[in-house]
This record gives sequence, C-alpha cells and structure tokens, in this order.
Amino acid sequence: MSTVIGTTGLVKRYGQLRAVDGIDLDVRPGDVYGFLGANGSGKTTTVRMLLGLVLPTEGEVRLLGEPMPKAARRVLPRVGALVEGPAHYGHLSGRANLALVDAAGPGGSRRTRRARIETVLEQVGLAGVGRKPARAYSLGMRQRLGLAAALLRRPELLVLDEPTNGLDPQGIHEIRDLLLQLNREGTTVFLSSHLLAEVEQMCTRIGVLDRGRLVLQDELARLTSPTGATIVETPEPDRVRAALDGRVLSVTAGRAVVRGADPAEVNAALVAAGVPVHGLALERPSLEAVVLAAARTSSDRVDAPGERSRR
Amino acid sequence: MLPPLIDALPAADAPTSAVDLRTRALGSAGVAFAGYAQSAGGLDLPVGEQLTDAADLFSDRTTMRAWYRGPADWRVDVVTPTGETGVHADGCGTWTWDWEDAVATWSEPGPLAFPSPSDLLPSALGRRLLSEAAEDELSRLGAERVAGRDALGLRVEPAAEAASVPRVDVWVDRATGLPLRVQVWGDDAAEPAMDTSFLELDLTVPPAEVTAFTVPEGAEVREGQAEQLLQAADRDRRRGPALPSSLAGLDRRVVEGAPRSVGVYGRGVTLLAVGVLPDRAAAGLRAELSRAPGAVVDPLGTRIAAGPLGLMIVDGPDGALLLTGTVTLDALAAAATDLTGRAG
Amino acid sequence: MIVVELRKLFRRPRTWVTIGLLNALPVLVAVLLAWTDLAPRPGEGPAFLSAVLTNGTLYPLAALAIVLPLFLPIAVSVVAGEAVAGEAQGGTLRYLLARPAGRTRLLVAKLIAVVAFVVVTVVVVAGVGYVVGRLLFEVQPTGGTALSGTSLTSQELAVRTLLAIGYVTVSMLGVAAFALFFSTLTDSPLGATLGALAVLIASSLLFTLDAASSFAPYLPTRYWLAFVDLFRDPILWRDVVRGVALQAVYVVVLLGAAWANFTTKDVTS
Repeated sequence: MSTVIGTTGLVKRYGQLRAVDGIDLDVRPGDVYGFLGANGSGKTTTVRMLLGLVLPTEGEVRLLGEPMPKAARRVLPRVGALVEGPAHYGHLSGRANLALVDAAGPGGSRRTRRARIETVLEQVGLAGVGRKPARAYSLGMRQRLGLAAALLRRPELLVLDEPTNGLDPQGIHEIRDLLLQLNREGTTVFLSSHLLAEVEQMCTRIGVLDRGRLVLQDELARLTSPTGATIVETPEPDRVRAALDGRVLSVTAGRAVVRGADPAEVNAALVAAGVPVHGLALERPSLEAVVLAAARTSSDRVDAPGERSRR
Repeated sequence: MLPPLIDALPAADAPTSAVDLRTRALGSAGVAFAGYAQSAGGLDLPVGEQLTDAADLFSDRTTMRAWYRGPADWRVDVVTPTGETGVHADGCGTWTWDWEDAVATWSEPGPLAFPSPSDLLPSALGRRLLSEAAEDELSRLGAERVAGRDALGLRVEPAAEAASVPRVDVWVDRATGLPLRVQVWGDDAAEPAMDTSFLELDLTVPPAEVTAFTVPEGAEVREGQAEQLLQAADRDRRRGPALPSSLAGLDRRVVEGAPRSVGVYGRGVTLLAVGVLPDRAAAGLRAELSRAPGAVVDPLGTRIAAGPLGLMIVDGPDGALLLTGTVTLDALAAAATDLTGRAG
Repeated sequence: MIVVELRKLFRRPRTWVTIGLLNALPVLVAVLLAWTDLAPRPGEGPAFLSAVLTNGTLYPLAALAIVLPLFLPIAVSVVAGEAVAGEAQGGTLRYLLARPAGRTRLLVAKLIAVVAFVVVTVVVVAGVGYVVGRLLFEVQPTGGTALSGTSLTSQELAVRTLLAIGYVTVSMLGVAAFALFFSTLTDSPLGATLGALAVLIASSLLFTLDAASSFAPYLPTRYWLAFVDLFRDPILWRDVVRGVALQAVYVVVLLGAAWANFTTKDVTS
C-alpha cells in the first residue's frame, strides 16, 4: 500500500459552484500531512468526501487502498476522524458517549471496549472526568473527547479537522505530542488546518488548497529548503554592502541577506572586513511565504468585478 | 385489497324481466345474510329536537351492520365512531341497545313508527319500495356490482302526479333476489337524495347467538314507548278532524290499530302522512320551517321541500296538522286545501 | 446498532418526560370524572369515556382514545422527527456515518427505535389507565360489556385490549414514517416534527370535508379510531384491516422515499 489517501480528479459541484475542483491528494504511510487552506477553500468538503459523508460529483477517493464510499464498511473502522469540531450526546457522560459511538459500527470489539475507552481517555487527558454529562464539558474537554473517539480503535489513519481548536496552549502542546507519538508508532495523520504555525511545527508533507484547487503538495522540508542565501545579523548592515559588494540581496535594520550557501565563508569574509556579526543563518522561505505565493487571495474576500485582475 | 378488485370486475347481466325481478326481490325475505351497509342521505330536515334521530337518518351517513336469520330474527347495529346502537328483533318485539347510555329498551311493534336504521337496510328498504309498485311503473336497468356481487337494476317511476320522487333504482342480487342497493332520486339528477348500499355481504346464516340479546349487567332497562308525537296524536284523537278518504289525489291507506287522527295516503314510493300536532310542538316546528331556505308561507300554512321530502304545517279548524311525505309542494298545497276547505 | 439507538432513546430524560406528560391528560380526566361523576354526553368526547364510570377496567381504552387524536401523534412526531435531523443538528450524524454506522442500517435502527417508543408509550398509557381506572372507578368483576351489549370475560377484555394497543401502535407508524421521512430532508428536528403534524392536521381536516370524500379512505388518520371496532361483538374487522393495510402502504412508501433520500444525501451538518 503506497497511498493512504489518494484522490484523482475529485470534484464537488453545488449547482454552478465548484467547491472542490479536481484535486489529486496523495498522502503516504507515516505522513503527518498538513492540509492547508483558507476558510471556504473547500477543505471541509474534501474531508467530508474522504469519509463518505459528501458524495463526489466526479473523481475517485481511495482510502487505505480501497475505494470510498463503496468500501466504507471495511475501511472506516480503520480510520479515526474529527470533522468540524466534536459532537456528543449532551445528556450522556463522556464514557457513555464513547461506548455508544463504538457500538454503532463494526470493528469495535465489545469485550475490549471498556479497556479501550479507559486507554484513550488517559491518552487525551480525560481519565478523571467521571460521570459528568458531556454538555457540562468545557470546549477544550469536548475537543479532547472528540479526539478520544477518533482514537478508540487504534486507527491506521487519523483525519483531523482543526484538532487543537478550543484548547489552551498547554493543551495544544499535549495534543501535538500525542499525535506525534502516535505517528511514530505508525499512524498516518491527515491534519486539516488553517493555522500555519501548527502545520509547520508538526507536518512532514503539506497540501495547499485554494478555491477548490490543490495548488501545492510537497514535502515540507523541500518547500522550506535553503534558498542559497545567508542571513547576517549585524548592528551595521550597511557595512555588509561595502564588504561584500554585489552579493548583498537586501538590507534591513540589523539584517542583511547575502548570496552564498555557506555561512562560514560569509562569516570569514565579514570578519576579515571588520564587520561585527551577531548571528548567521541559512535563509529558508517561511511556510507562510510559500503558502501566500501559491494561494493568491483570501477566499472570503469579496472584490468588485474586475478587481482581482488588477492585483 | 381484494374486495376493490372484485368490485371492479364487470357485472354480468341476466335477461330477467322487470316484473320477474320484482317478484324475486319480494320473495327474498327468507334469505339469511350478514352484511355491512352504508346509507347516505342528502336531506337536511329542519326539524326540532324531537325528531333528530329520524332526521339524522336522512341527512347523515349511517353505517350499519346487519345479521338476518329471518323476518323475525335479525339484528341491525348502527355503528358510530364512539359507540353503537343495536336493534335485535325476536318475533315478539325488539330490544334496542344503546351502548353510550347503557340502556336497553324493549319495544313491541306498533301500527306506526318513525323510520329506524333497520328500515334503511337496502334489503328492507328495497322490498318496501318495490312492494306496492304497479307493473307499468317498473323497468329494467343494466347490471352493476354491489358488495362484490352481480346486481340487476330495477327502476320504479311512480305514476302518481303528487310524487316528488321521480324514480327509485333498486339493485337486486342476481343469485338470491336480495336488494343490495337502493337509490332514491330527487330533482337533482346528479346525486341521489338517498343512497343505501351493502358494502359487504355474506350469505351464510349467522349464528343465533349473534342476533340474540341478553340485557348486560349494569344496564338500565326501559319499556319502549311510542314516540311523543304519536302519543300526542293518540291523546288528541277526540279533537282530531275526520280525515278524508283521499288527499291530493292519493287514496287513504288502512292502518290497523292506528289512531284515527293519523292518516296515511298514497302507495309505494309516494306517501303522505297527516297527523295532529300538539300546540307546543307546532309552534316550534312552524318557526323552524319558516326559517328554512325555500320555505313557502301562505294562508294555507308553512311548507318546505327537503329533497323529495315535503313537510307542511296547516292550521286546521281543530288545531295544527302536520303533513309530510314524498310528495311535491303543489300536492301538499292541494292536500291542505282538501283538509281545510280553504283555497291557496 | 439497534441496541445503540434504543439505548440512546431510552436513556434520554426527555423521552420519559414526554411519556410522563402524555399520561398526565388521561389521569387528569380520570380524576375529574371520578370527582364530579359527570360523564360526557353520548356521542361527544372520546370513545369509552362515558362507560368508565360504571366500569373502570375500560379506562385503558378511554386513556388511549384521549391521547390518540393529538397527544400521541405529537409525541411520535417529536421523537421520529428528531431521529435523523436531531443527530444532524447535534453534529453526531457525521460521526455516526464516519464510524461507519451505514446509512440504511442507521435508518432502520431509527425506525425500530421509534416503533419501540410507540409501543412503550402506548403500553404505558394503557397501564397507567388500568391502574387509574381500578383506583378511581367501580370495577366489574366479570369483565366488561362490548359495544354491542354482549358481556366479555376479563380474559376476552384483556385480549381485545392488547389488540387495541397493537392497532394504536400500527396507527402511529404512518405518523412516524412521515416524521422520519421529513427528518431525512431537513437538519431541523422541529421542522420535521411540524411537517408531520401539518400532514396530520390536514388529514383530519380533509376527513371532515365532504368535498374530499373521494380520497378520504386514503387519509392517514382515516382509520385511527377503528380500534373501537375491536370492542364490538362480533369484532368489526373491516376498518381495522384497512387501517393496518393503509398504514403499511404509508410506511413502505415513505420509508422508501426516506431511504432513497438519505442514502444519496450529502451530509453537511
């Protein structure tokens, strides 16, 4: 199995609107895949099509090597999902909620249910939650419970939509650690998010969705690989220009960017010229820069007709 | 699901003549059956509370269940959504059981009675309407399916000038002669003024325990009384007028044991009844009649037509008289003239 | 799946509150009747109500007749209207389907849960009616009197009461099917419930209209009161049989429509 999530020419049309316009996703085993896109770019529709909730207008979805939604009954028990926020039966406790969802489909053995529930509650940090009904949970606790439901059957693939939503910084950190640990143990994680920082910190591969099209899909390391320039931190950037004339790409306050992929060589030249150097680093594009370059405008921006062509 | 299919089958006709068919229908009193029938009347009689039961029969949809073992052993239940009124006949008289009041009433047959639901059963009504028809009033219609059976049509067109019913159609079971459906037509040719029909019919003899009646525990038992109006007529017999031997061209019928002040005229489908009204009832009824749409008020009295049924109150020299029957308004006026000697 | 749905339904406090409220009216009526001894006039008021003063064992039937025209269908519409739309509104539908619960299975399980609710509700109403009738009214030791005036033994009465409970349950299936169908059309449980109630109110109204007599036999509420026919002697099966057949047609057609809609629907809630 070379692909965990593979879509070919996936299209979803709502009347005239092409919410998802022919995307080819390729998520490989062991990936932590960051699925980036602005609000309304078609992320949620795509995630729903992956899980068989929304039926594609055109194209195919293969999940864990099997066609969706045809093989849903075989495939989905091996997938854990968190779609657009958690949802629970408010009058039931967290444990009862997990037990119900587990019993509602195939692949959750009844014998091991109680033990599995305790394990996942432990994992998401809700072990001591007791019998309190879910409607009394805080937003963060609900998010954790939703994650617990996704983890309940030790899935091979986790499809998570904004999993850290509503969590405080410690909570975000905990969940991130948990996901990375699960990934190390072999779980492929598909993370849909609009938080660049979160994706940048966790993901190994990213895909960027812009107005229904997949405009970028690559290894994060390759996207942010060194550009061949070196960043020099110095209190006197103007002297860098004098010392390395012709190699300076840009100068800002306290900073100069110099052509050259070897910081040691740049350092030696500057020191020789007597320029004080506080720090040196290889220049890498930020994920933000990469994403902004790929996706042009925010999709919730509404321009007057003809406006877009002028930008 | 099956009965509608059977009903939809074309009905098979037979070359029976009208007179023979009538003979067969009249001879069907011995045919035992159990059936489910509905009658629908389009007559809105503007009458007071004393007559509501009888009036409802002609204006409402009445649903009946009937078990008939013979002329002296039968039962007819009027089924309502919340209760039931059953009449059990056993040769000596009838038990009428009213479930909602938990009252059982024993009545013995009198010379005259208001119509009861059992009279609306197609078998009973059909035989009654056919019994006095003259042969030249009869003609044959085609065949129809009624209650899943082949029924042969027989039409009665009364010859009497006074008749308000232009025709009556009786559909007679081809196999047994039992009248299965009776349609009484008025002026309106589209809808019969009264349509009573079996919807289900089973010709096996019903068991005796179904028609028998035992007063249930806790029920109130009453002795049947002739209806108030008839009682009143009976009381008033002395001051009643001497009724003529014919009214509006209809001959008086001899009704054994009937009060002298009540007269029934006519034959077959065309009947006219005349009786003395107690003053109290007369005032109320007159008020109600005069309010009814189409009421004619003139020196002769107050008269209305409800479909083919005519109703009139006449102020006779000895008090109010009620004239009612299946006669036209003109016939009522003629009868009133005959009775009072006044001219319209 | 079915067990899951049943557990969901019956562990929900609201379900029992609904059933409790449903029983409040018959109990109130019984108390008022016993207190004032004033039976409704014959032909008015619910069936059997005038008879319970003399025989309390008929009260389960009077209780059913009281709740049948309005309260029971409302309760059924609420529960059945909730079925799919409630999960959609709460967001749990997407998790059930991604579990995967299977759309057809989910629909069948919902239907069975609704039927279970109807059965439990009707049985509870009859049971409470029985207790209330025994406590508040005179009881004939011999059983009761059929509408036709024949005496029924306690055993016969019990059998016919069970038949009536079954028939009332079947009568409610049409309502449930309407609500369930609407429940797959909308994400608003209230909308589904009101839709089903609108159908019932329209049906009850058309039933009283002579102009609608051509299709009156096909109205979903047409044969609801036929459970009374089970207490005639001999039993009048005609309307009971038609009622069951009619409900069956409604259930098959509407569930077919619900299935066709739900299995091809994009779940965006």
